[in-house]
Amino acid sequence: MALLELKGVRKIYRQGQIEVPALRGVDLQVDEGEFTTVFGPSGSGKTTMLNMIGCLDKPSSGTIIFNGKELNELSKKDLAMIRRFNIGFIFQSYNLIPVLTAYENVEFAIRLINKYDNKEIRERVLKILAAVGLEGMENRRPHELSGGQKQRVAIARALVKEPKLVLADEPTANLDSKTSEEVLKVMVKMNKELGTTFIFSTHDPLVMDYARRMLEIRDGLIAEDRRREEINVSD
Amino acid sequence: MGYIIKIAFKNLFRSKLRSFVSIIAIAFGVMIVVFARGIVVGMVDSVFADHIQYNSGHIKIIDQEYQLKERLLSLNYPVDGFNGEDLDVMIEALEGVNNVELVIPRLKFAALVSTEEELVTMSGWGVNPDKELIFTNIGDILLEGRMVQPGRQEVVMGTALLEKINAKVGGKVTILFNTAYGSLKGVTFEVVGRLDTGLKLLNEMVFYLPLDQAQRFLEMDEEVTELLLVLPDRKMVSQVLPEVKELLALEGGGRYLALGYRETSDLIPLMDLSEVIFNFIYIFLVLLSCIVVINTMIMIIRERTREIGMMAALGLEKKEILQLFLIEGGFMGLIGSLLGALGGYLITAYLGRVGFDYGQALSGMDTGILLNTMIYPAVSLENTIFAFVLGTIIVVLACVFPARRAIKLEPTEAMREA
Repeated sequence: MALLELKGVRKIYRQGQIEVPALRGVDLQVDEGEFTTVFGPSGSGKTTMLNMIGCLDKPSSGTIIFNGKELNELSKKDLAMIRRFNIGFIFQSYNLIPVLTAYENVEFAIRLINKYDNKEIRERVLKILAAVGLEGMENRRPHELSGGQKQRVAIARALVKEPKLVLADEPTANLDSKTSEEVLKVMVKMNKELGTTFIFSTHDPLVMDYARRMLEIRDGLIAEDRRREEINVSD
Repeated sequence: MGYIIKIAFKNLFRSKLRSFVSIIAIAFGVMIVVFARGIVVGMVDSVFADHIQYNSGHIKIIDQEYQLKERLLSLNYPVDGFNGEDLDVMIEALEGVNNVELVIPRLKFAALVSTEEELVTMSGWGVNPDKELIFTNIGDILLEGRMVQPGRQEVVMGTALLEKINAKVGGKVTILFNTAYGSLKGVTFEVVGRLDTGLKLLNEMVFYLPLDQAQRFLEMDEEVTELLLVLPDRKMVSQVLPEVKELLALEGGGRYLALGYRETSDLIPLMDLSEVIFNFIYIFLVLLSCIVVINTMIMIIRERTREIGMMAALGLEKKEILQLFLIEGGFMGLIGSLLGALGGYLITAYLGRVGFDYGQALSGMDTGILLNTMIYPAVSLENTIFAFVLGTIIVVLACVFPARRAIKLEPTEAMREA
């Protein structure tokens, strides 16, 4: 079932009098549970497309349908609510709140959706932290964690509210290959266990190794859309 | 909302020095407000009290004509009762007016003392000593000797006046004055008491003598220059004054004038105005200390641009992001204002006890102006709470400007900008 549909999506940025097209009419359908990477050279439109999908930006033309809703018609507040309830973000530089512990950073995301009581929140946060391999590190602040551990906290933060879609922008860019692999394994595991849809933007060949679908973007268009069999990932 | 408050509070500890400096700046501003307000209120209270006690009572009754000649201390326009009746009958009638607690008679006249070098001008006040002791603070400022007693030929003077005329308590002084009929008279009195007060008028100009003696020597039997009405509270003047005026119109044939204490002072309207002006100065002072907070908030928002983008990406609404920064500023305002209010309270309380003398600054001032050279800042919980609330509110409002920058950022822009 399609979670996401892009129909003729264009995005044009204006720099003074000059119009710079970032997306030139993208058509795409992403089903629930997919584990997809978007790759391509710098400036090809990867991040722009992710921003559109993540309700962070609106297209200049074309339609985006997420979970049955046409995003173009929604107000900024409605888009914020979609992000709050349905989309998880993982950023290249983790973007954890430095004054909060690992537990509190994750708790922050689930508190936002105002759906669970305190006991449930605690259970869910501890469970997801354990699932990403951070059991016993709940009370550490970001500066007390390694890069890989920080990214795991970010993954836990993105997943704790059980979103339909997780968008990850270069999630392994700041990690060494060993840590990148560990982090990717965690995401594959979450994708399998929770059925969460993942879309990555990446340059990292390692990420592409783990993806079941690869979208190559070039000059604002999807140049190639490849699928492959499921990958077995051992813990 | 709870998590926003939690994050805002924890954010205070991100840069402890910066938060500390901001809090200290606010505390300093609020402390100055508490203290300055204490001084102003203390000064205003003192002006009101001195004016009411030594000039006007809550309501002053004089002859219509006397108002124009008051500065000359003319004896030609006395208060001498209703329609030829005794003064005591008039006093009794006035004491019968609702809420009039006391009627104080005073007979004021100009006098001179000749020393070997100069003639010293003075103002004699014939008074009922018992009533003066009840109504004024003479008992507190009488440093040596005692108050005059009826039937005795004695005076009480201020320290500065005694020095001027080279006299002291226990000594004699010959005072020259004109009687009501214009003849010059000299009478020798015993000095039985010495006053010492920051009020220049009492210290340098006035001498007290018993009313009966003043009336006898001035040949003004059953006559005074003014009657002062004392009410339970100065706020009741507007309520009592019409009744007194009605009585005077009915019994006095329109000869007498009843004036509320505000009407007889040039200083009180100035004090009212100064209170209004100072309220603006307080706001300005706190705003000044807010510059540090605004600067801090601008820096914070610049530093946390990426974080703001992340929060927006996680689904925080603009108003929640605004709340986050306002609460953070609010915490600084709250802590700073609390410290400042406490500090200001303690300083004001201390100086309110010991007072401070600004007599040097007023050395050239006319003795007729009832302005005390000792200021006792008024310490009050109300004032402290006012400054605390003012500080907190202004800091929060000051944070709106930089925080608005945070909410204007689009998430994509914020994450790219950092």
